[in-house]
Amino acid sequence: MVRGKKTMDICLLSGRLLLRYGAETYRVEDTMVRMAKAAGMNNVHSFVTTTGIFLSFKTEEDYDSMQMIRIKERYQDLGKVTEVNQLAREFTYGDITLDETQERLKAIKDAPMHYPLWFIYLASGIGGGAFSYLVGGSYFDMLPAFIGGTATTITLVLIQRVLKVKFFAEFAAALTGGIMALIMVNGGFGTELNQVIIGSLIPLVPGVPLTNAVRDLMSGDLVAGVARGSEAMVTSLSIAAGVALALSIFYM
Amino acid sequence: MIVMEWLICFIATVAFGVIFNIPLRLLWWGGAAGVAAWIVYSTLPELGMSPVFAAAAAAFVAAFAAHWLAIWKKVPVTMFTIPGIIPLVPGGRAYSTMLAFVEENHIRGLEQGVQTFMQAGAIAAGLVFALSLFSIGKGVGQRYETEN
Repeated sequence: MVRGKKTMDICLLSGRLLLRYGAETYRVEDTMVRMAKAAGMNNVHSFVTTTGIFLSFKTEEDYDSMQMIRIKERYQDLGKVTEVNQLAREFTYGDITLDETQERLKAIKDAPMHYPLWFIYLASGIGGGAFSYLVGGSYFDMLPAFIGGTATTITLVLIQRVLKVKFFAEFAAALTGGIMALIMVNGGFGTELNQVIIGSLIPLVPGVPLTNAVRDLMSGDLVAGVARGSEAMVTSLSIAAGVALALSIFYM
Repeated sequence: MIVMEWLICFIATVAFGVIFNIPLRLLWWGGAAGVAAWIVYSTLPELGMSPVFAAAAAAFVAAFAAHWLAIWKKVPVTMFTIPGIIPLVPGGRAYSTMLAFVEENHIRGLEQGVQTFMQAGAIAAGLVFALSLFSIGKGVGQRYETEN
């Protein structure tokens, strides 16, 4: 009984962490089933969509156990996905006990983001600048693209923190990045507008939902795949709307 | 000159790895997958292939490398596929689509939009092909039951 309850807790917690920080659906299902089986449960079934997790099993005393949890927030922190994946692997091989697993899961849950925020801002700038070179091929324009990329991510994080509306934050970030790029290029700081705008906006690319949508659809998780695909689509549309607005303001 | 381009591509891919919070010990490998994809993507059109085919081939190379790396390092394959396909993202085309629509040049916008979607689809196709190779024997049956 106690063991069944504890197994349910750690399975759901690892599933929640995996799904929340950007793992694929099949990985979440697979990890929970493997962990429950390793803990000695029978008849294990799990069903995961992009926004919720179901898990059911029979304990050794033939007691049925079933729970469902709702996942509201989705972040991109693949560092935590790796850690939970590693932990689940160790538990499945029997290297660590239930209690140890629970403690380490809690530690992962309470840990701060893998990289500090300022480092992510810096990486957005560098990524934007370097990517802009791949698009346009001008060394000088990497500098305005660096500034634009940093500004985009800072806007995204600040607006998300205050308003907590994902798609509006992406729209506002794209708008800010676009306006920054337009001001810099029109002011003579930067030569090619295309390159600067693309570099400024590329940190917003929905990489995690995009790749996960393909993987989910391929592994037969149709509900989750379509849901993630739509998420990527709405994000792309928010970015497009932001750029379009920035361009229309300047070309009026 | 071309080495400089590869270096910049590597920096871009690694920086995107940081944006997605990929751990430091895995970042460099994701960067290598990205550079491999970029080499294929920039070389094939010079040999006369279409850019869409080049994108599919490059995505395949990146995803193939990512699956090997994932098996070797024993981590989820997403750590390498996401940075691997970043250099292929059709950002330039997506931007010209928006620009054309803002300038009310709808025909050009549609043309650019279709090309953007073609390239995105090609990237997905490359990913899917590599994934299929690595899930031979592990998938589920579809359509006809031929087991017995």
